[in-house]
Amino acid sequence: MKFRITKEAFLDGLQQVQHVVSSRTTLPILSNVLIEASDGGLRLTTTDLDVGVSGTAPAEVSKSGSTTLPVKRLVNIIRELPSAEVEVSVDSKNVASISSGPSFFKIIGLPDGEFPPLANFDDAKEFKIPQAILRNGLKKTSYAISTDETRYVLNGIFASFKEGKLTLVATDGRRLAMVDHELEFPASHEVDFIIPTKAVQELQRHLGTEGDLILRLSDNQVCFEVGSSIIVSKLIEGNYPNYRQVIPGETKERLTLSREQLLETTRRVSLLSSEKSNSVKLTFGSNRMNVTANSPDIGEANESIDVTYSGKEFSIAFNPEFLMAPLKNLEEDEVHLDLIDEMSPGVLRTEDAFLYVLMPMRVTS
Amino acid sequence: MSKHSEGVNNDESERRQHEEEIGNVAIWDRVKAKLSEYLSPDAFNRWFKNAGLVAHEDGEGVIGVQSDMQQIWIETNYLVELRAAFAEGAGIHCSPRVVVLGQEQSATELVTAARKPKAGEQIKVVVPEGKEGRPDSFERRLKKLGINPEFDFDSFVVGDNSQFAHAACSAVASQEGRSFNPLFIHGRAGLGKTHLMSAVAQQYLVNNPKAKVVFLTAEHFANEFIEAVRKGNLDIFRKAYRSADVMLIDDIQFLAGKERTQDEFFHTFSTLLNSQTQIIVTCDCPAPEIQTLEPRLISRFESGLTVELQPPGFETRVAILRRKMEQWKVDLDNGVVVHIANLIKSNVRRLEGALTRVASYSFLSSEKMTIEKVDELLRDLVRDENSQQITVDQIQKLAADYYDLSLADMSSRRRPASIAFPRQVAMYLARQLTKLSLVEIGEAFGRRDHGTVIHACKKVKQDMETNPEVKAAVEKLTSALQR
Repeated sequence: MKFRITKEAFLDGLQQVQHVVSSRTTLPILSNVLIEASDGGLRLTTTDLDVGVSGTAPAEVSKSGSTTLPVKRLVNIIRELPSAEVEVSVDSKNVASISSGPSFFKIIGLPDGEFPPLANFDDAKEFKIPQAILRNGLKKTSYAISTDETRYVLNGIFASFKEGKLTLVATDGRRLAMVDHELEFPASHEVDFIIPTKAVQELQRHLGTEGDLILRLSDNQVCFEVGSSIIVSKLIEGNYPNYRQVIPGETKERLTLSREQLLETTRRVSLLSSEKSNSVKLTFGSNRMNVTANSPDIGEANESIDVTYSGKEFSIAFNPEFLMAPLKNLEEDEVHLDLIDEMSPGVLRTEDAFLYVLMPMRVTS
Repeated sequence: MSKHSEGVNNDESERRQHEEEIGNVAIWDRVKAKLSEYLSPDAFNRWFKNAGLVAHEDGEGVIGVQSDMQQIWIETNYLVELRAAFAEGAGIHCSPRVVVLGQEQSATELVTAARKPKAGEQIKVVVPEGKEGRPDSFERRLKKLGINPEFDFDSFVVGDNSQFAHAACSAVASQEGRSFNPLFIHGRAGLGKTHLMSAVAQQYLVNNPKAKVVFLTAEHFANEFIEAVRKGNLDIFRKAYRSADVMLIDDIQFLAGKERTQDEFFHTFSTLLNSQTQIIVTCDCPAPEIQTLEPRLISRFESGLTVELQPPGFETRVAILRRKMEQWKVDLDNGVVVHIANLIKSNVRRLEGALTRVASYSFLSSEKMTIEKVDELLRDLVRDENSQQITVDQIQKLAADYYDLSLADMSSRRRPASIAFPRQVAMYLARQLTKLSLVEIGEAFGRRDHGTVIHACKKVKQDMETNPEVKAAVEKLTSALQR
């Protein structure tokens, strides 16, 4: 195998796939990137057996073939190369010679036959989704994914293709983020599944704002084709809990707030929320909302926001991180905060189909 | 067991079961009433309206809900309220746990399903093993803690050898002995250290069902510590041990030579001691004799009460055998029992082993047990037993004979070389061949200081290396003693 490639293109291609490789792996082959050279250029593939990523890089291939090389080391070498052109040749023993300008490297790889192949999606259900929709949906929900491994069904995003809608949900038991999008797909394709966190992170790296992606779904694996890149992942097995139970049915008070202002205010006030209680308190009075925080041995903060409010006076406390997370990931100018009382969850909504349920903190009076 | 009594017992257990269900419903109603005060109607209806109390025991209240989302949400958000509602509504202090019932199953159905005795359990209901009135859950809890339920005060045969240790332990178990802290039990293998400690733990749990009892071997402690270091979660490790109400550590001598574990143990130990938590430690030798144990730990061990378990006397041995025979429902001639008690002197465990061997042989062969037969069956045990039975007296006598001295010279104050050296050899042999402490050996050789014994041992060892005659003499004496 022999090819010439620009340093930039090679580095780009490698960086797209290298995140999947974990530094601590039991199988040496999993630290390697599979490089397949053919007339069209290079295909680079990595996997940790749960998630696999494959991308392409343009190259001038003079002799096709394939091998695997340690990806972290390769990235470090390519990044430091002195010249913009790289020439790589690999012998039959998987020893790669990399030359660029005056420098020359030799690194030892492993045979490509050992590399675990990505799953096959021949008879899979196929969905066509605008990249922007999925990208937007993941951004608005992924921060609420649970990291508690004992509840493994929550360690991912629940994706449901039902009734002409794609619904994405994430929750960790204290909050729940959900977003709906209209989407066209055959009725026979109605399905739901859980995409693990790692695949969500990879997807977010690859998704752009234009064009479509193809989603293929087999029994326990999912495959996303984004341009020339492919992300394959195992699904989380198990049933996602019925998230609709969490969403409060009634609403007593609705406040319409500027997203930016609420975010900035919460951020400032939270500087003085104590580590122990870690909460900010929202107090509602006539046409005014006060955001306050205090920690006994440090001090306190208070900031007021003008709102349209005529209900009864009451306070509710939230974890500031949890309150800010959706605000950071939304783009809308205005958000609605729906409340019932100080003990019931608050609901953040936007004009389009986004919804965020947040449990209040106990206020010790 | 006859069919008739089985039926009675089943009726009885069904009736209890039924009462328990009614009890759970009543409790849950009161808890629910409280919850509806704490929570908004919406939250209450959403999470608790269709929930039910499945069981409560051991300080644990099991709530059954319909969906996994209810389980997740309640466990993450409402445990504080739930605990408070249990305490205030029903006066029950427990830590709630939430389980998901199958969609088609209602709470009461689950209760019945869970209570249906399994094949193994049925026997338990029919033949309660002498621990009437104790729920299965208690035994389960003991098992979880690693305590053998059979090791309780009732099954411990008290004799002269163990009277003090037994009294100290029962005082600690009934919490009369706050000043006996730490309680240090030592004695050779198979004399009942673990039995006594388990008994304390059990009694303590009976008296304080909610107490957090930590019962483990020093080896287990060391392993957990190493694991915690490896995983980097020492905090959790410390929290787990330092929050105990009673801490019982078996075979502390295992810590010898493990410096970091000793260090961690020392701090755990001090923390607990400072918070006046009862600690009980067992060891196979007196604390100062544990090799390579930090002096500060030794002094901590000595700061409380130290009790020793000694090998049981003849009467105690016979009593132990009789107790065991009663328990196992075997019948042996009085002469045979006395004979076994005469043969095995040093170790209760071995005594039980000997009884098992004799009893099972007589059961399997249905031969009548004779003293000769017992001798034959226990030949290997007896040989081992005798090899351990070297006493200082024997050593002194043999050494005096060998060096042609009078026995009195062994303990006299005279110290010409012709007497002093044989005496030193005898001390060395006593150190090597008996399990006595330096102090005890010094005591036996005319109330000499333990330093004298150390010196004697060192000197003889050195001489053995340089002088083949001395070496030959020591070897000859040793083999004569071990014969």
